[in-house]
Amino acid sequence: MRRFFAPLLALGLAVAGNARAEDTLSPLHFQSDGPLGSIDKAAAQRGFLVYQTVCAACHSANALHYRDLEALGLTPDQMAGVAAGVKLADGSAATLDSPFKDPAMPASAFGGALPPDLSSIAAQRPGGAQYIYALLTGYATAPDGVTMLPGHFYNKAFPGEQVAMPPVLRDNAVTYADGTAATQSQEAADVAEFLTWAADPNLSTRHQIGLRAVIFFAFLGIVAVISKRRIWREGR
Amino acid sequence: MTTETKQIPCLGALCACLCAPVHKPEGKYLDTLPGLTAILLAFLTLSGLVLAVYYDPWHAFASVGFIGHEVNNGWLVQAYHATGATALFGLVYLYLFRAMLTRGYRAPGELVWGLGVKLMAVLLLVGWLGFVLTGGAAAYWSLFKASNGALALSGAAGAIGGWFFGGPAGSGTLARLELFHAVLAVGAMAVLWLLFAARRAVVPRAEPGQGVAFFPYYLAQYLVALAVFALIFSVLAFFTPHLGQPAVNALPADPLTLPLGTVLPWYLLPLAGIAQALPGIWGGILGVVGALAVLAALPWLDRSGPAGAKGGLYCVFTWVLAADVIGLGITAAARNYPQASLLLVLFTFWYFFHFLVLTPFVTAIEAK
Repeated sequence: MRRFFAPLLALGLAVAGNARAEDTLSPLHFQSDGPLGSIDKAAAQRGFLVYQTVCAACHSANALHYRDLEALGLTPDQMAGVAAGVKLADGSAATLDSPFKDPAMPASAFGGALPPDLSSIAAQRPGGAQYIYALLTGYATAPDGVTMLPGHFYNKAFPGEQVAMPPVLRDNAVTYADGTAATQSQEAADVAEFLTWAADPNLSTRHQIGLRAVIFFAFLGIVAVISKRRIWREGR
Repeated sequence: MTTETKQIPCLGALCACLCAPVHKPEGKYLDTLPGLTAILLAFLTLSGLVLAVYYDPWHAFASVGFIGHEVNNGWLVQAYHATGATALFGLVYLYLFRAMLTRGYRAPGELVWGLGVKLMAVLLLVGWLGFVLTGGAAAYWSLFKASNGALALSGAAGAIGGWFFGGPAGSGTLARLELFHAVLAVGAMAVLWLLFAARRAVVPRAEPGQGVAFFPYYLAQYLVALAVFALIFSVLAFFTPHLGQPAVNALPADPLTLPLGTVLPWYLLPLAGIAQALPGIWGGILGVVGALAVLAALPWLDRSGPAGAKGGLYCVFTWVLAADVIGLGITAAARNYPQASLLLVLFTFWYFFHFLVLTPFVTAIEAK
């Protein structure tokens, strides 16, 4: 029941055009970090490409719909193109829910490990985007003295350091339409930004409203203090 | 007073109440805490009403996700409601702690103090029910433990538990808990109304000719308090909407998987720590009831008398108690180290030792 997602490679990035991404890898930082952070739409679009091409073979994103991609800057035509380009193995249309229609199938096929739904993974895991990046780039050969469980891979970012997910990201696993070099780290950072958006689609709006609310109430507080003092002084 | 006040008598009464110069002319900003609590309760009721319209207890987790993703501004109302709970407990805890520091619980304020503790107890139950309604992994396992514990009791306690939960935690449990969440929230408002009435009866009035009216003096003060509160609330709601909530709760509940880090929201943690420190189901229940009971009994445990001196040593011990309660919460949240159980017992011991031994002795000695 794997999903195939080839035609997206032709999808032009609506936001970034042909500009290459700025270097966010050294040192690693995300535009969504911090109290005034916002979603980097170009990175999230690239992350969606990585998700659809690589992650979606095993992981669902139940809370997402193709129409949500409008928030990342895609036009309705582009979204329709994306949705039309996703096919199940038998050629039928695929949604973003689980690629495994039999819930027992993934656990039996992957050594008992169920691929978790990715729609809110950035909110569930401590560290969010940083953790996702560290996990996706944290694969290494197991040090001497570590006995690996069957079907597991050594990953220094995963709690317990043994993860059932194989290392799936490699250089040029996707081709970015905006010309960004698709290194493994770049793909990991982009998919981390995409999953941050998926877990918190209103992050940018929330921070914008919050900044305005704080400024408004700070001024209101100053005005209220002045008026209170004046009223109480005149009352004496 | 014009004609409409004659036609609507309560308006005249309200005007007379607002304009009567009976209040003391030195008001503290923190005296507005119960008023802010009332405003916040109304705000929580409104945001909760919006959420309840879309909430489906039979598919709790999916409907919480639906409200956040699909309902127009649903994510904002969710952030308001969750942050409202955090702010509400902040206000209530601050109100009670201030009454302890200023010894405002002493006669004639015993009734006000008792109603404050009762308000906190009702709100803790409402808060837990609201947390359980989210249907996340942490909420599911908390409900699982509570309902199984209640049903395992024998006799009347088991019958009450069985009636409350309606059997082991299942998909139908949340439907009845949603009702209890709403009804008990109205009950909390009733307790707050009683608290206002009791406070009005005992608050010292100004000497004739010396007093000021609520309007405009205390209204101006309330506006300052409200603006500062709204500022803090905005910071919490827009920049840390999940403050004090376990991250695991973003995970859908799976009856076959107990994830790490299934803790309660911050405002329930100190009581949860006391419940965990005592053995067995009855230990937990008695711990929670006893912790609230000794708190409510504080006016009678304080032996200094209504007019006795306020000593500095007891004030220091009250601060130590606050640190003890915070320690209880932190230890209950992070139980993954071997000393945690011992620490919980120590913190719980100190809590009861403070009320049952230190309070009578220190206040009696200081009053001499």
